[in-house]
Amino acid sequence: MFRLALKNILFYKGRSITTFALTFISAMLFIVYVSMMDGSHKSMLENTLKIYTGAIEIYHKDYRDIGGNEYLIKDVTSITNKLTQIQGVKAYTARYETYGLLSTKESSAASMIAGIEPEQERVISSLATALREGEFLSNESQNCLYGGAGLIEKLKLQLGDEVAFVGAASDNSFAADIFKVCGIFKTGSFEFDLSSSFVSRNYFDKLMMAQNKASYITIKVDDLENVDAINEQIVAVLNDVELESLTWKTLMKTMVEAMEVDSIFGYISLSLFLVVIFFVIMIYGFINVSTRIKEFGVLRCIGFSNAHIFSLLFYEIFILSSLALLLAAPIAGYICYYYSVHPIVIEGIADMYKDYGIVSDEIPFNFDILTLSWNLALIYLLNFLSILYPYFYINSFKPIEATKHV
Amino acid sequence: MIQLQNVHKYFFKDEPREVHALNDINLTIEDGEFTLFSGPSGCGKTTLLNAIGALDSIESGKIFFNDKEISSLSEEERTTIRLNEMGFVFQAYNLVPVLSVEENIGFIMKLRGFSDTQIRERVLEVASMLEIENKLSSLPHALSGGQQQRVAVARAVAAKPKVILADEPTANLDSKNSKALMDMMRDLNEKEGVSILFASHDEYILKSVRRVVKLSDGALL
Ligand SMILES: Nc1ncnc2c1ncn2[C@@H]1O[C@H](COP(=O)(O)OP(=O)(O)OP(=O)(O)O)[C@@H](O)[C@H]1O
Ligand SMILES: [Mg+2]
Repeated sequence: MFRLALKNILFYKGRSITTFALTFISAMLFIVYVSMMDGSHKSMLENTLKIYTGAIEIYHKDYRDIGGNEYLIKDVTSITNKLTQIQGVKAYTARYETYGLLSTKESSAASMIAGIEPEQERVISSLATALREGEFLSNESQNCLYGGAGLIEKLKLQLGDEVAFVGAASDNSFAADIFKVCGIFKTGSFEFDLSSSFVSRNYFDKLMMAQNKASYITIKVDDLENVDAINEQIVAVLNDVELESLTWKTLMKTMVEAMEVDSIFGYISLSLFLVVIFFVIMIYGFINVSTRIKEFGVLRCIGFSNAHIFSLLFYEIFILSSLALLLAAPIAGYICYYYSVHPIVIEGIADMYKDYGIVSDEIPFNFDILTLSWNLALIYLLNFLSILYPYFYINSFKPIEATKHV
Repeated sequence: MIQLQNVHKYFFKDEPREVHALNDINLTIEDGEFTLFSGPSGCGKTTLLNAIGALDSIESGKIFFNDKEISSLSEEERTTIRLNEMGFVFQAYNLVPVLSVEENIGFIMKLRGFSDTQIRERVLEVASMLEIENKLSSLPHALSGGQQQRVAVARAVAAKPKVILADEPTANLDSKNSKALMDMMRDLNEKEGVSILFASHDEYILKSVRRVVKLSDGALL
């Protein structure tokens, strides 16, 4: 039966070439498109994570929902001591975030002001690399303010200018100080640049009475893929119902959801394309079969069963799809792999999309064998489905009628 | 042995254009017989062959094939019977175009699960009886009509069926080829002991068969 299928493929060349080519093209497009979509999502996430949000963050319960000084982490060192034991944790740092008023003689603005550990932030976030003017903070910085470009502009400040800060300390007492603008940063995330400013913790903690306290501890992991497993370990090691440890999937829920929606639209447009290909393959199979109705009729008269017909059609499509996919898989795989290592660079993309937090001109592809496999499996499946209609069409004739078919 | 008991078959039953294609047929055909169904066009020869060959259903009555009733079987069961017990030759030669002569002849044996060496041996045997042994590697379209029909006969006979049903096998052949084909089939009937049932108008065939069953308007004469 396999040999008969092979001979049919060689004999009915037009149908074979069309099926082969369409399968090949659709597999290539499908794999490359999915790889590009996944890759750009992944890089968007990575970029965002790089800016400020950690892969995992540890909070006191209710800080995220209610907020306020009651829900600060009270003993940072006891937590960070535990984190050092966990494999896969690359770096961590505690941040003390507060909201306050920054004002000059002419202008004032509310801002998120965070006490950070500058040396750790160099590893964890891209705050240091986002520097545009002046310099980044250091552990020894005193009343230095590191402000977002948008915020500094709104306050009409320049490097070296002074700005007054008013806020509430961690014990709810009044806190006020004069900061000097030491550095200006621009991450590309519009919101963030407009509303954030940073001060070195060593200095800020004294002002805010916040020694050993933190709004949260942010953690960078070695491999983002393992984030859930690492988080489980953290939860186990902390073993404290007062604390919650959350991964970026929760922290950036809206972004993840937006990407899912984007993926769904991507898959919908892809599936429209695949449906078209599916019908073309099916129609070619159908045309082929309908010119052979008489032949099939004779075969059935002399004892060819439905199972025989099905396996014949199955082998035909199996051989054609296998060949096409065997060719498509390494080529598409190589393309994805190549562009995952050497991302496509489109000049100006970062500028165009800076409001969405895209900070790179590179569009890396995603290369992973699992995605590649299910893409191939889907095309296979579609091809197999395409024989059903021709099969039922053949069986709609009684054998003896089919022999008279012209 | 094939037995037909009170077999009736209609086309367009209960419509104004109803045709009573088989009208109360009672018939027994012994193993090894060489039988011709004859009669004017439209008398029901093809319909009768199709009924006996489990290709078509009948309205009422019974058809036994070696004591097995085949008139009440499902399509799937009838396919199995056709594959295992019967051989068919049609008016058009109806070979598989992509297969060589050898593969066409061995096709049914292959479906029935014979080994490749068994098939090869048997193909050579029947091919030499039918004088097509030097065409084994050709494709059907490279053969003349007479040769193609001999390949079709070889295919039908190769798997050693109990009976071969042949509907107008010589209709597309000239008299020389018809005669050659008939001689070969009679040879097969004698050497292999296979029953052969024909439907034909052909004068030559009429003279060369032992038993002639005459039909008129769907009934036996
Ligand atoms: N599929 C069909 N649908 C309707 N009527 C049919 C069908 N097949 C045969 N008939 C009718 O049944 C009768 C017997 O037909 P059948 O084909 O058996 O005759 P035949 O003896 O083989 O004729 P011929 O010598 O021309 O081949 C005819 O009247 C024919 O019109
Ligand atoms: Mg007829």
